[in-house]
Amino acid sequence: MQKREEHMSSVLIKNESRLGLKLVAPAVGIIGLLVIYPILFNIYLSFFDVQLNGTKTFVGMENYTDLLGNPRYYHSIGVSVIYLIGTVIGTTVLGLAAAILMNQEFRFRNLARGLILLPYFAPVISVVFGWQFIFDPVNGIYNHVVVDVLHLTDTRENLIGNPDSALFVVIVFDIWKHFPIAYLLFLAKLQSVPKDLYEAAAIDGQNAWGRFWHVTLPELRFVIATVVLLRIIWNLNRFEDVYLLAPNVETLPIFTYYQAFAGIVDQGVAAAISVIQLLVLVGLIWLYVRKVLKW
Amino acid sequence: MMNKRSTTQSVILYALVLALVIFCVFPFLQILSTSLKHPIDWGNPSLIPRVLHLDAYKELLGLMPAKEVDVPASVQRLLDNPALSAEKKQMLLDKFSAGGDVFPFGRYMLNTFVISFVTGICSTFLASLAAYAIARLRFPAQSLMANGVLFVYMVGGVLLMVPLYQMSVNVGLASSAAGTIFSLFLIYLIQTLPVAMYMLGNYFRTIPFSLEEAAMMDGCSRVEAFWRIIMPLSKPMLFTVFIYCFVIAWNEYLFASVFLKQYQDFQTLPLALQTLFTSKNAIWDRIMAASMLTLLPVVICFMLANKHLSGGLTDGGVKG
Repeated sequence: MQKREEHMSSVLIKNESRLGLKLVAPAVGIIGLLVIYPILFNIYLSFFDVQLNGTKTFVGMENYTDLLGNPRYYHSIGVSVIYLIGTVIGTTVLGLAAAILMNQEFRFRNLARGLILLPYFAPVISVVFGWQFIFDPVNGIYNHVVVDVLHLTDTRENLIGNPDSALFVVIVFDIWKHFPIAYLLFLAKLQSVPKDLYEAAAIDGQNAWGRFWHVTLPELRFVIATVVLLRIIWNLNRFEDVYLLAPNVETLPIFTYYQAFAGIVDQGVAAAISVIQLLVLVGLIWLYVRKVLKW
Repeated sequence: MMNKRSTTQSVILYALVLALVIFCVFPFLQILSTSLKHPIDWGNPSLIPRVLHLDAYKELLGLMPAKEVDVPASVQRLLDNPALSAEKKQMLLDKFSAGGDVFPFGRYMLNTFVISFVTGICSTFLASLAAYAIARLRFPAQSLMANGVLFVYMVGGVLLMVPLYQMSVNVGLASSAAGTIFSLFLIYLIQTLPVAMYMLGNYFRTIPFSLEEAAMMDGCSRVEAFWRIIMPLSKPMLFTVFIYCFVIAWNEYLFASVFLKQYQDFQTLPLALQTLFTSKNAIWDRIMAASMLTLLPVVICFMLANKHLSGGLTDGGVKG
């Protein structure tokens, strides 16, 4: 009898694992074919001279040595670093401030909470034109305010046309577009902070700033780490938001895109850039999975 | 404890909230305002148009009356010639009317809608199967797959554009319009599958196992329990995930630009709008009206899905 039950349960386990494999097969198959294989294929391609029509010639390490001797590559790394520092600090600080603000009680709170999510939801392609118009040298409100109202300068400037100032606009745009996701993460955590912690701090004589410093921040420590790490991971690969607003701001992904699909096409070099970038990314993701998800 | 606020504190609070809301909403108001302004009004910094100007919308939606074609007298004489076939006459006329001026917005919208809709459906379906297995069943390499999904999701499209493009060239998909669109569909599928699996997996875990157990006691098989119990219970989340995938495809620019550049008839809105903007006949009112019309379906979608979305987004490392 007992033997029979054991047999039954082993059949059940076998059936369950067979069903499980069957159910994950399509999704995992597609991901394997179109993500894992391309990652490996990319490494292979980085040792070839690759044309758009698919012809390949083996060049060994040449793509890598070319790349490491190319000042444009270092320039784009520099631009990416400034972009990352600006956007990561900006979205985290604004997201946290917005979460604290929206955690207060006030009238029309639900409306305000909904409205500040709009930038995150809206398609990049639509909102970039709004931003282009704001900074348009002829019609834009920015030049109107700076030149005609505040008289800070006499000349109308094309902020997006100049790569240096465009980087600044791109950073502000990214903060505007992505702080809502940081805000959502912070708000979710804030709502779960026990009220008596604040009451205890108030009894201890802490003012609002002290309560923020001694209660809110320590409680949010892990979420802040999550937000910062996720911002770095996502923004390292960010393409559309930068390219569509200001194609002259050459962050790493945009440099890669130009190498691969514009001007003198050199897809092998583009593959080499991606390989190096992937190594950095894997390190960051490993950090995220090990340190943040475990918390 | 903090319910009591002084008047000053209230004023500061409302001022800060207002400032934040204006910061978030202003670009949208700018788009709406410019789309409704007459060209002579563009330099006017006020958001309220002096005269309401709906031509841009009418033109994009094909509501403009067909423009009278200016035909030179010499050509008019040719057209009046009864010996010329009607077909030839039309060709002549087309030469004068088609200045590349018409932007087939409806066509682009339909293209975008179809590929986004198909992506959303397929991705949600495949992800629900896989997510159920990962959340509920025991099978070999399960945790590897669960972690792998997260890893794969964070590998951005930029890193895969060269190999994916080369793969589609190598298998010959890139040489025909149908093959190109199929490649693009597959790419949208992998861009949405991991996040869909992640969101659905987290959701399935919140459904009590006892419900399936009861169904199986009543003689349902595992698969039947999944179809009859889990799927109906997850409808709101399935809808949310579908919307999320739909919007990812609706917004995608990078791969559309790589794959669809030479297939103008099949372009999606992001690519077409960018082309319109960089082309010579780029006109702010048309650009803004097109932006408004591209934005609207997405905003409506999110309003429909918002309730579950905010929760679903914060549960995982969702792209932002």
